[in-house]
Amino acid sequence: MSYDVTIERCGQKALFDLKGALDAVSQWAGDALPSLPIRPNSRTEEDGIELFHIGRDHWITRAPLAQEDAIEARLKPTDCPADISIVRVSDTMTFFCIVGPDAGQVMSIACPMDLHDSVFRTDAVSYTEVFGLKALVMRCQDGIEFAVEQSFADMVEDYLIRATA
Amino acid sequence: MMNITCPFCGKRNESEFIHGGPVGAVRPDPNAVSDEEWVEYLTVTPNPLGPVQEKWWHARGCGEWFSIWRDTRTHDIVEAPDGTT
Repeated sequence: MSYDVTIERCGQKALFDLKGALDAVSQWAGDALPSLPIRPNSRTEEDGIELFHIGRDHWITRAPLAQEDAIEARLKPTDCPADISIVRVSDTMTFFCIVGPDAGQVMSIACPMDLHDSVFRTDAVSYTEVFGLKALVMRCQDGIEFAVEQSFADMVEDYLIRATA
Repeated sequence: MMNITCPFCGKRNESEFIHGGPVGAVRPDPNAVSDEEWVEYLTVTPNPLGPVQEKWWHARGCGEWFSIWRDTRTHDIVEAPDGTT
């Protein structure tokens, strides 16, 4: 069975992993980042910079790769206080976009989570499984976007091609 | 397949979690217990017929460690027995 979807392996993005108490991270980040999302597994976005609340006292920020150096200069990971952690992880994750009318069908093969609109809302983002691998899943325009560890990207791309063939 | 409620993410598929074993007994003072009691503490894990408190790790999720009570007869996740957490 074939599906009406388009699969795109996205280019690298600027990614920073942020850990620490909300107040401490917000205070250190200042206006370098949008306001940190408080609700579990939600995201905020401002001027192309996104923030994902993906664990207790744990966020990931994503921005276009061109902004990586500028964000790093403002977040100063090597100078941050001991009670927070900021790590550049841009080269550790590969993003895929599954778009089209059957995007939900394809994702239902790969992922055990209920990704229907009524459950997994527009601003939802969460770690879960995709083809048994830990993956960061979120919505994108007309579909679903997810990221897996970079070293699994070729394998996941192959899985997607086989699943949609 | 069980659905397990993560304190951060809510209800999720069991496959996202890794079982961390039963919550063991409180570590006794090794100088205050007999050899038999110490060996029992080290080697015997709770294995009741009924509710048992277990540690679970949301490994393919938010990374949270938490404990639940699971009934070993039915796999149902149950309320903690009275007076325990």
